[in-house]
Amino acid sequence: MLNRKKAPELQNIANIDFVKPHVYDITEKCHLFFMNEVPNDTARIDLHFDAGSGLGELGIASFVGGLLFSGTAEKSSIQISNELDALGAFYESNVAHEQAMITVYALKENIVPILRIIKDAVDNISFHEDEVQEMLNDRKQKFRVNMGKVSFLAQRKFQEKLLSGTPYGRIVEEDVYDNVSISALKRFHKENYLNGLTKVVLVGDLAQDEVDEIIDITGAWATDRKQEFATEFKNETGTHEVLKSDAIQSAIRIGRILFNKTHPDFIDFQVLNTILGDYFGSRLMSNIREDKGYTYGIGSMVAELNHSGYFLIATEVAKEVKDATIQEVKYELEKLKEELVAAEELELVKNYMLGQLLKSADGPYSMIDLYMGLEPYDMEMEFYNRSIDSIKSITPERIRELAAKYLDWNDMTVVVAGS
Amino acid sequence: MIHFERFKLENGLTVLFHKDITTPMAVVNVLYDVGARDESEDKTGFAHLFEHLMFGGSINIPDFDAPLQHAGGESNAFTSNDITNYYDVLPSHNLETALWLESDRMLSLAFTPKSLEVQRNVVIEEFKQRYLNQPYGDVWLELRPLAYRVHPYKWATIGKEIKHIEDATMEDVKSFFAKHYNPSNAILCVGGNFELEYVKDVVKKWFGAIPSGSKPARVLEAEPEQKEFREKLIERNVPAAAFYYAFKMPERKNAGYYLADVLSDALGRDKSSRLYASLKKEQKLVSEIGAYITGSLDNGLLIIGGKLNEGVSFNMFDKALWEVLEKLKNEIMDDTELDRLMIKIRTAREFQEQGLLNRAMNLCQFELLGDANGINEEHEIYNSITPKDLQKMAKEILKPTNCSLLKVKSNQNAES
Repeated sequence: MLNRKKAPELQNIANIDFVKPHVYDITEKCHLFFMNEVPNDTARIDLHFDAGSGLGELGIASFVGGLLFSGTAEKSSIQISNELDALGAFYESNVAHEQAMITVYALKENIVPILRIIKDAVDNISFHEDEVQEMLNDRKQKFRVNMGKVSFLAQRKFQEKLLSGTPYGRIVEEDVYDNVSISALKRFHKENYLNGLTKVVLVGDLAQDEVDEIIDITGAWATDRKQEFATEFKNETGTHEVLKSDAIQSAIRIGRILFNKTHPDFIDFQVLNTILGDYFGSRLMSNIREDKGYTYGIGSMVAELNHSGYFLIATEVAKEVKDATIQEVKYELEKLKEELVAAEELELVKNYMLGQLLKSADGPYSMIDLYMGLEPYDMEMEFYNRSIDSIKSITPERIRELAAKYLDWNDMTVVVAGS
Repeated sequence: MIHFERFKLENGLTVLFHKDITTPMAVVNVLYDVGARDESEDKTGFAHLFEHLMFGGSINIPDFDAPLQHAGGESNAFTSNDITNYYDVLPSHNLETALWLESDRMLSLAFTPKSLEVQRNVVIEEFKQRYLNQPYGDVWLELRPLAYRVHPYKWATIGKEIKHIEDATMEDVKSFFAKHYNPSNAILCVGGNFELEYVKDVVKKWFGAIPSGSKPARVLEAEPEQKEFREKLIERNVPAAAFYYAFKMPERKNAGYYLADVLSDALGRDKSSRLYASLKKEQKLVSEIGAYITGSLDNGLLIIGGKLNEGVSFNMFDKALWEVLEKLKNEIMDDTELDRLMIKIRTAREFQEQGLLNRAMNLCQFELLGDANGINEEHEIYNSITPKDLQKMAKEILKPTNCSLLKVKSNQNAES
């Protein structure tokens, strides 16, 4: 007779095979990272540029990022879209604080032809006034729509207070879309794209001559200059409110400046963070969603910057319980500082994290993302093997120690957006 | 080609096995043939609320998630108007943990009052977060009853109104479970690096003794053919005027479904599409525009949606839109355009099929349509589409009498 109350025996994860990509020099400091063991016809290429939103006048990086395929003297933007779509390209450009990136997903045989079209489009952008104006109008409308969302209002204020005093803490207002000089766009484009490629990531079963060709095409953009990132961070602590009078939910952000992978406490803090808010059974989810029903979701995370990182709790809750929610978050942080995590809970989190690490190393696309998470810090895949050991051996005492060190309420920036 | 094996347990459970030797992870996907279309009109949002309750503990296991997390895995689910789908992803050596958990909640839930009370609140907050507290968030709550008069697609998966969720009782929960959650109404897919015999053994071990129940008969009132243009104007605190043109289209099993899908791509999938090129880039009437299909099993909708530029009236836009649609109906599409649409479809499919979870989900969905092997036949169907077929479908569906238009007017400024 099957005993349904008894769980099946579990096996532990013995080890994970972390695979490094092949590394090619485009120039001395600009590399191409290539993962070729893809068992199908798909491929991806990422072009990283030193063109993040921390650079230049406020808004410029994002505007140039939005105009990369807006047309040349020879081709209209529609022609460029036509050509890329005819090769089945799914492509986008993204601008983050510390870098900008063009990403293309396509069938492997189309990667090189697509790259040639992109090269021409980006090299020869004409910054036609019509295209610039259209992009600005679209952005302004999107901004207005976003300003109607409590999540956006909270995130914006949080960014301002968390990253205060650095270029990443600058906040866009609506007038930024009204005063843009085309010459400033052209200057940024020339400095940060035409001479701004910092790395290329390539995944797909491509042949050596295709890789060589990609190196050849992108070489002209490569830069050897040292990227300048913000180094000093200090979040403004205390509670900051944003009023949206008709909101029926409030968005809450709670966080602080922390660190990145290079810090000795990083891996152990990941365990603490998981316990607190980074999985479905986390303390925050169990208390604030599954016990109280205040929210559809609440979570915590650690985000990394080149010279730092930050910790963040985010949720949207019924407006009537915003204060109660903050109280409960405070309570959960205090509890971690004062009480030892039970053995059973810790074992569950350890197993969960190892399972997730196994999953994040599953397949070439995931594997290269793991590697690229180390690359900015000149760290080797060995980091993940060390992570496995740290996760397996961490103690309740160590977790309490880290909570006491990093989860002090007085160190937090708290933002509430709503009515 | 996606290989799979199929076997059926004596209690009626259909099982698919998809072998993938390249991954250390396993997927267990369970599709239940029940969605919001199976709700009664005075108790909407129930299929989705029920999905939440499926994580509140089962008859022998007090907590669903903890044992799975303990095994290194995680789980989630979604509900649509047509189906409810649950999935677990975990290291493959712990496959049995997922089968144990899924089989126990198929056997019976714990039905604790606490779980019902909390999940009612959670779903109400989800309702607010996604549908009420966002600009344009309530569009689907308005558009569905405009496009459908009879068929249960007239309400959204989240439900018609918060009150229906507040009013859900334990009795409702139990009868819903009894009716829809049994082996004969489910399709299970196991994916991962296993041998077929092993999968058969462990699936039988955990699911074999669940009483079969009976597959509930589905009798839905068919939506009568639409014969008139429908239009509704709502005013909201949003920055820009928005439009949603909803055209009825063929059901999932009809060959015409694929034609409508390709038509929506031609109209508004990418930046090379007709609506984007003409109405945004050339005429500068809109800030954004796109077209897509709802993907429904019964007669679905082809949607053209977007936002007007400042100073553009609904009438100006409407006239220009119909010119684009007329062209699609009156002139045959050239091969260059069709090729462009097809390479995008093929590329998207290759990426979708990359993921084990996607493959397992899709196999279950095709099995629900009648045969899991449909997953391997789809590209042939797309490849055989001709410009003439597309023109015929365009003429059939892209007409005012088949269209429901929702206009969202901004009350933030005077114009439009």
